[in-house]
Order: sequence, then C-alpha cells, then structure tokens
Amino acid sequence: MTKYLTKGPITTDQIAAEVANLGKRKNTGGHSIFIGQVRDDISEGRRVRSIEYSAYNEMVSTEAEKIKKIVFNEFSDILEIILIHATGTVEAGEISMFVLVSAGHRDHAIRACRHTVELIKERLPVWKKEIFADNTYRWQKNA
Amino acid sequence: MKVKVLFFGVLSEVTGTGTKYYDDVKSIEHLKLRTADDYPEIVHYNFQVSLNNEIIKSDTPLKDGDEIAFLPPFAGG
Repeated sequence: MTKYLTKGPITTDQIAAEVANLGKRKNTGGHSIFIGQVRDDISEGRRVRSIEYSAYNEMVSTEAEKIKKIVFNEFSDILEIILIHATGTVEAGEISMFVLVSAGHRDHAIRACRHTVELIKERLPVWKKEIFADNTYRWQKNA
Repeated sequence: MKVKVLFFGVLSEVTGTGTKYYDDVKSIEHLKLRTADDYPEIVHYNFQVSLNNEIIKSDTPLKDGDEIAFLPPFAGG
C-alpha cells in the first residue's frame, strides 16, 4: 500500500531515497519538488516551537488517491506524483510535507506540483496544533 | 446496531476522546443530536462529517458497523 504519512518529520534521507528513484522513466523531462517546513511564526507575541500533526489515516489514503487522480486528469503529461505528510511532532525548521511530480515537460511538472500542494491543504484530513515556546498551544486551520 | 464515531483535531479535546461507540442511532442527524447531548460544547465548532471515509453533505441513514468521523477544518501542508 502506498505510504502517505510518516511518524515524525520527513527526513532528508527519505527525500533522497525518492530522488534516487528518479530517472527510471526515460520519458521524464522534469521533476518538480515542494518541501514544506515548519516555520517559527510569532503569533500574539508567542513563537512557534513545533507543530503536532494528527491525521485520519484511512481517509488520508482515500483522499491522497483522489488528489492524484485529479492532478493526473487536469494536467497532461504527468508521469508520477509522490506526496508524503508528517504526523506527530515536527519542530520548527523540520520538514512537514514532501511533494514530487514528474512529467514529460517542466511546465506541467511545476504547475501540477503547485496544484497538488494546494489540493493537499484543501482536502487531506490532517490537523495541526501549534506548540509555542512558552508551552501553550493553539489549534491552527488553513486559510 | 453499533456505530463508531471518531473525533479529530480540536474536537478530540472538546469531547475528551478520539473514539466513541453509539448504539441505536438511525442517521447522521440523529448522531449529531446524540453527540450534542453528550458534549454540548461541540455545537460551537465548525466541522464536516464523513461516513466510511467519504465526506457527506446531507442526512444519511446509518447501519451497524459504520464509521463516522467529525472533521474540523483541515490544516495539512
């Protein structure tokens, strides 16, 4: 089964493993990668130390498949879509999301990657709790 | 009949639980009334409802073994 969630932050080793697999499809002309990182925002005078991500695991799989289908249908020439989201605690500076889209041509890869990221934010059943440096927290939602 | 109800995000804190089972709930709207009885604060929160991993927008009958999730606005990415 395709894995869409990791426990803890996504590591550079995981990203490197995905990148190492590139090139097997000889008809690929471009790969577009998005890496989401936890940012140490300041909100009401409090700095974000980390984010705790939680997810509805079974529905993540269903929705991730739907997201991929939407992107494959909306953009011609897409050859592969990889999306991974972290769960659990991710510290500021660590990686929370990884998207890689491979296409025959760079324009489709870049645009499809952007669209995949936006669909993840809109549709993936993931929630985040901002943990501040003073140990208070706030449930966050996407704009 | 018994259904499984999952509470995510802030609703897991509001209800104090991630999972609860309900007997004899006929429909989604009936379930919402029952959860509001058990957790009155829940009515102050915005959420969608899924039934067996699919978001549903209108009242739907329930059957034994169904899994319903109360989903606050998503915050992934």
